[in-house]
Amino acid sequence: MATSESRPYRLLGGRIPYVEGPLKVTGRAEYTDDIQRPGMLVGRVLRSPWPHATIRAIDVADARALPGVSAVLTGEKYPTPFGVLPITHDETAIAVGKVRYIGDIVAAVAARDERTAEEALARIRVDVEPLPDYPDPESGTRPVAVPIHARGLNGTNIQKEVVQHFGDVDAAFAQAAYTARVRGTFAGVTHAFTEPLVTVAEATPDGRLTVWSATQVPHYLHRALSEVLGIPLHRIRVVKPEVGGGFGGKSDPLPHEIVCAALAIETGRPVKILFDREDVFYTNHGRHPTKNDIRIALDANGQILAYDIEATIDGGAWSSFGTVTTYYNGVLSMGPYRVPNFRYKGRRVYTTKPPSGAMRAHGGTNLRYSIEVALDELAETTGIDPFDLRARNALPSDSTTVNQFHIGSTSFLACLAAARERSGWDAKFRRLPYGRGVGLGCGFYISGSNSPIHFTPKMPQSTVHLKVDMDGGIAVHSMQADIGQGSNTLLAAIVAEVLGVDLDRVHVQRVDSDVSPIDLGSYSSRVTFMMGNAARAAAEELRGYLLDAAAELLGTPVGELEVGPERYQRRSDPSSSVTFLEALHKAMERRGALTASGSYQTRPMGGSFKGARAGTAPAYSFAAYVAEVAVDVETGEYRVEKIWAAFDCGRPLNRLAVEGQIEGSIHMGLGQVLGESMNYRGDRLLNPSLLEYKIPMPQQMPEVEILLVGADDPDGPFGAKEAGEGPLIATLPAVGNALYDALGVRFPELPITPDRVLRGIDQRRAKGVAWKGS
Amino acid sequence: MHLDAFELHRPTSVDATVRLAGELAGRFDFLAGGTDLLPNYKMHLNLKPHLIALEDVGELHGHAGDRIGAMCRLADLEADAAFLDRYPPLADAVREVATPLVRASGTVGGNLLVETRCFFFNQSYFWRASLGFCLKADGDQCHVVPQKERCYATFSGDLAPALMALDAEVEIAGPSGRRRHPVGALYDTAGDGIQRVTLRPGELVVAVHLPPGAAHQRGRYKKLRVRPSYDFPELGVAVAGVWDDGRVSELRLAVGGVDPHPRRFDDLTDALVDHAPSEERVRALGEEVARRVRPVHNTFLQADYRRRMVAVYVRRALAEAREPVAA
Repeated sequence: MATSESRPYRLLGGRIPYVEGPLKVTGRAEYTDDIQRPGMLVGRVLRSPWPHATIRAIDVADARALPGVSAVLTGEKYPTPFGVLPITHDETAIAVGKVRYIGDIVAAVAARDERTAEEALARIRVDVEPLPDYPDPESGTRPVAVPIHARGLNGTNIQKEVVQHFGDVDAAFAQAAYTARVRGTFAGVTHAFTEPLVTVAEATPDGRLTVWSATQVPHYLHRALSEVLGIPLHRIRVVKPEVGGGFGGKSDPLPHEIVCAALAIETGRPVKILFDREDVFYTNHGRHPTKNDIRIALDANGQILAYDIEATIDGGAWSSFGTVTTYYNGVLSMGPYRVPNFRYKGRRVYTTKPPSGAMRAHGGTNLRYSIEVALDELAETTGIDPFDLRARNALPSDSTTVNQFHIGSTSFLACLAAARERSGWDAKFRRLPYGRGVGLGCGFYISGSNSPIHFTPKMPQSTVHLKVDMDGGIAVHSMQADIGQGSNTLLAAIVAEVLGVDLDRVHVQRVDSDVSPIDLGSYSSRVTFMMGNAARAAAEELRGYLLDAAAELLGTPVGELEVGPERYQRRSDPSSSVTFLEALHKAMERRGALTASGSYQTRPMGGSFKGARAGTAPAYSFAAYVAEVAVDVETGEYRVEKIWAAFDCGRPLNRLAVEGQIEGSIHMGLGQVLGESMNYRGDRLLNPSLLEYKIPMPQQMPEVEILLVGADDPDGPFGAKEAGEGPLIATLPAVGNALYDALGVRFPELPITPDRVLRGIDQRRAKGVAWKGS
Repeated sequence: MHLDAFELHRPTSVDATVRLAGELAGRFDFLAGGTDLLPNYKMHLNLKPHLIALEDVGELHGHAGDRIGAMCRLADLEADAAFLDRYPPLADAVREVATPLVRASGTVGGNLLVETRCFFFNQSYFWRASLGFCLKADGDQCHVVPQKERCYATFSGDLAPALMALDAEVEIAGPSGRRRHPVGALYDTAGDGIQRVTLRPGELVVAVHLPPGAAHQRGRYKKLRVRPSYDFPELGVAVAGVWDDGRVSELRLAVGGVDPHPRRFDDLTDALVDHAPSEERVRALGEEVARRVRPVHNTFLQADYRRRMVAVYVRRALAEAREPVAA
């Protein structure tokens, strides 16, 4: 088995600093807020102070009359609904007819400056009739007086219901030797990316619209703009400057992006909308507040017989990715273990709160927490070590799950072995003093979705164009979206690797829909896998032209040539060579600049039942994490001291970026455990600020030991799989299970704040149960 | 969010400041470090048309001997380890305020007079409007303890409990000259929670004076918060005292972060003087303090948890003060 330790490549597999790094750290990189256009206006939105209300009238006359105000918009001007999923278009750019949460956009203005814009908003009078509000998803599962959306199932607020059953779960439970049940409760969390949402738009007299936006998916923004504004795609140009983090929160086309464009059209002048942090919290699209109920059946040997899963998912006001979320909260239980019988009932319910959506490790995080806690319980019940229990149930490579996911490569067993050994598990588990503990959490995640949102399923999911002229610089175009995760660097490195040229010859161009071929952008951990394969194909085409020219210059058959550093040489005699530039210039004779194109598309996969494609992916990543915690048993405060993170991303192509993704994922996963929580009183968000939304501080980060143990994936570019989302998932249960080892208390509710820790200890003691002598 | 326009005044002497404060009575706020006031202004919280910046008043700056100027930056105190070493509870408190960036601007006087905090107050104008405002700003209803008479916003400064435990005094300048009184007397404990301080019109805090006996007393300030930086206290417990061979000859305890003002508990600590208190007595002290404070659920952590932590933090602060951990 090839391991990722070997280095058959010149660049790939090494530590490659980000190509745009020097610009970012010196403040020269251009983000959307840096875009300045002549005569640019300030756009602002008016938000609903009501959670649910019918709009009777909006009086904008006083706002329009204010000097310096160029436009005031309300919902009826652009009422076409949109949404990231073609099947659930239920959002409008500005509320039409009713508002659905505190923060919903009711109107928008463009004015000469911020102060005038805000004064204009204050002059807009909205007359509403309040409607009953529905902050709680449970109550929305029954018919309600006034459904939040007409599309709710049978007069309820249920947006999507998924019922799946494979095998015979009841029979499996009837014959089970052991069962466990975990009822998890998860507060909503949000992405809290550094760069707030911001868009600039300009409509020009040539009939074209240009939109610069902080987006992860320029192509979906492009389509939503076209649909809502009624302008053909080819007359809209979407540009993505540098983006300061997304984590899923910039993957939907968002209302303010369309509003900004609409204001630009209305006024004929450039308009910028820059959100403050509170606006970002209302836009949300973060991880769904969720309740799940997980039952697992084991046979006498510790083999998993069945999963029985229910989930109630709080969707907030809109659908967003919610149909996918609803499937994922069940089907992403299908690895890393073999599960022969599986039943799932999931419901995503609209509520009158800021919309939930996709957030890093979308759909796989809360589900996984409950499963891994249940497995920890089963390990204790059966007396089987948690590592052994998981190893015994691991899916093998090239296997098929009961719901027909194809698992290509998996190095899950290698993850388990590395985490066990490096953490010193056998000397620590149940052997540390009271208040200290270790816990194991595992996970897996899709490496790109086989079910893309696209024009037709037969179109490629990624395309990369290359152009090289006589200067020897290689321009790379693709709509893949670098949002800080390093995809531009990887794209450049793959091209340089294939061509044998220095990295500084390769210039990844800014995403610009006028010139960038379509790639579906940064979501579902697809970029390395899909863009990487497309880039490789494009570079190989270009290399073919260069090798043909080199062969002609050297008078040797192409088959005898190999790629050397900045040159092409005879395999039998490397001193017989031509430089890259010599080959290039030869190749350009008669045809001029060279161009090449590569694309990638997943193979057909998955079953034929309803929803079968949800969760199908060309590859999956795997993880096994051990966390070690120390608890102050008198205050409930605790510290995660170390995490051993064994991860299978196939071959890591840029170790620097992979390690950064794993560390960042652990930080984000820890946030959901330690204290991140969107706190509501009814439908009112109490903490829409980075002071009261408790992202962990650097001092709270544990030491992280990263163990990259993946083998090459046969379909991944150079053997690689994803490393952007999967690394988050195992963090949460590793800590939850470590707290159990420390205290003998289960924490089915996240976040695990110190008051909850103390309450858990109290409850155990009240039952007279001792743990490690305390 | 933007700052509304205000008129900025920059007096250069205490006398000029007092005169100006008298002229503008009720229509101004003092601007010290601005780390709390300006965010509150962006949220349109109790805006005043005038700000009197204290930056140019030379007398307010710096620290020397046992005097700390009101405009002394927290970062400047932090940088003077020799000074802070003499006052362990103050050292703890200064180092635990917010973040290095905030401490670079934030001042001693500003921290003493920092606005009380509440989930229903520290919000944007939009947010508060959507709720119908609150007693403390623009409305008449308390959303934490539903009634219309009293504000329960929490005192959230770190320095006050430490300085109160050290028996420090504040020097106040006003139209009728200078006066000094204990730090604790700055806080209006009898008021409605909205009138928070006892400063009279035209008065300002000029300096803090540490009593000669305070230097090298043992003590600690212990702060409860969700994250080890950035956050305001969910509870702050300060103790300072003198132990002779395990026997208490002097002891003071002050608690912040759980009531609308910081409080001392002299009757409880006086009872320990001339004793070598048993673990049992120390525990009972903590529990009695916990019984007396009145946290409400207006911060991140639950009120009952914060109350429970009072007993633990008091006991620990006392234990750590008595047996200082070697640096």
